[in-house]
Amino acid sequence: MRKILSGTVLGASLAIAGPALADHCPTDTLAALPAQLADGGTAIAYKTDPAKIEVGKPFSIEVVACVEGEKRMAPSRIRVDAGMPMHGHGMNYTPSERKIGPGHSAFEGLVFHMPGHWQITFDVYEGDKRQRLTQKISIKR
Amino acid sequence: MIFRRAVRGALVAGAAVLLTGAADVPTVFDNDETALILSHGPWPEKTGPDPSNRVSGKPAAIAYGRTLFESTDLSIDRQRSCATCHQENLAFTDGIARGFGIARVDRNTPPLFNMRLNRWFGWDGKSDSLWAQSIAPILDTRELGMTPDTLKARIKATPPLADGYRQIFGAAPAAHDAETVMVNIAKAMAAFQETIVSGRSSFDEFRDALAAKDADAIAAYPAPAKRGLKLFIGKGRCDLCHFGANFTNGEFHDIGLPHFPEPGRVDKGRYGGIQLLRKSKFNLLGPYNDDALRATAGFTRHVRLTTKNWGEFRVPSLREVARTAPYMHDGSKATLKDVVDHYSEIPEDRLHQDGEKLLKPLNLTDREKADLVAFLRTL
Repeated sequence: MRKILSGTVLGASLAIAGPALADHCPTDTLAALPAQLADGGTAIAYKTDPAKIEVGKPFSIEVVACVEGEKRMAPSRIRVDAGMPMHGHGMNYTPSERKIGPGHSAFEGLVFHMPGHWQITFDVYEGDKRQRLTQKISIKR
Repeated sequence: MIFRRAVRGALVAGAAVLLTGAADVPTVFDNDETALILSHGPWPEKTGPDPSNRVSGKPAAIAYGRTLFESTDLSIDRQRSCATCHQENLAFTDGIARGFGIARVDRNTPPLFNMRLNRWFGWDGKSDSLWAQSIAPILDTRELGMTPDTLKARIKATPPLADGYRQIFGAAPAAHDAETVMVNIAKAMAAFQETIVSGRSSFDEFRDALAAKDADAIAAYPAPAKRGLKLFIGKGRCDLCHFGANFTNGEFHDIGLPHFPEPGRVDKGRYGGIQLLRKSKFNLLGPYNDDALRATAGFTRHVRLTTKNWGEFRVPSLREVARTAPYMHDGSKATLKDVVDHYSEIPEDRLHQDGEKLLKPLNLTDREKADLVAFLRTL
């Protein structure tokens, strides 16, 4: 189940991550990135900076992604983007990635330029295989 | 007041009675609407100097910038200045549909209020700083028609301008190369333009009264403007783009206007703006940004070019909007009523197929249109 968050991404409001994340991600990273999503054997933990996303203001997202399996703790690539599905458009800015470690990156330069319902997409790649995780978020004026 | 309305209602025909009665229903804002209204202030917004411009906010540079802004020595034929098109008594516009310098340009002359709050400059956002934007009309052959070399020669040869340059930038213009002189001149003009701030409006008084729960001051705001405001944040959804204290998101949208300045020639709008921005040596990623850490360049670094940018133009601030006719990037709407008509009957088939699914005809009644205009006139 996905919840629509309001501006602030709160770990407590997301009880989605299952054993996949806990088994395959470093626990110290999990503690630092409390918002979590998991689906199809892929899991991520993330946080935004600032914690409360404001309309028209740039923000960044730090993400750690993990993939289920014996030797596949870190995925080969992560991509973060966002859009307003109901309006049919994305962001006017392309986030840049700053790698922090294996499966661990910060994406900078995101801007929600309108109020309303946004959806953040986290694409986690293992080779050519992509798993997409999404988070809906409501941004007020 | 109530008695007089009742008598008036009794004296007119039935339909008019209904209209008068409806007009007199007080406009009430619920908590959500009140929060939205409060988000359009307080005004003025606090701003600081522009870190990309080392003379921003400096009084001597501001005074020098004003002199430059009004000087015809900055045009190749000495016949015009920045102030020729940005006339103070016309809210720093020229009052005509498309600007005219040496020749007619493709777009409407925008007002210069509250520039410090902008992220992008020009209808297409081809500039990411006010000083970079100030270079554009100097070099445009349809506007002032100068080159860096002719500008440097003029500054050198005009004692008041040469003296001012030396005072502000610490060296005579002859000591700098022509491009540096041009950038410095533009930075001084930007310092002046940053000081053009719109005053408090009757909307601001209403907004602050609402925040303070001051019933008398709330009542003083005209009823048609209140109804128009309710439409602005409600049925009209105008504030999805025109939000915040400056009534703009500072970004770009296609609103279904033609983008052909003449048959066979297209105005690429934001698409062309991003292309020009990226090519420009005067953008905030370039060598002339005085912010050594380039913290000011984040938007420029991340801006995205997509096909949907075709036909998009910058969302203007609505402050002082009653004084800035004609409207839209091409000046094609003569009055605020024409603007409201456009959104009421917007041609959906004209919107870019990759564009937003946001704009729909509002189908406003004549009364609603008049109310929306009444509200806009209070900004």
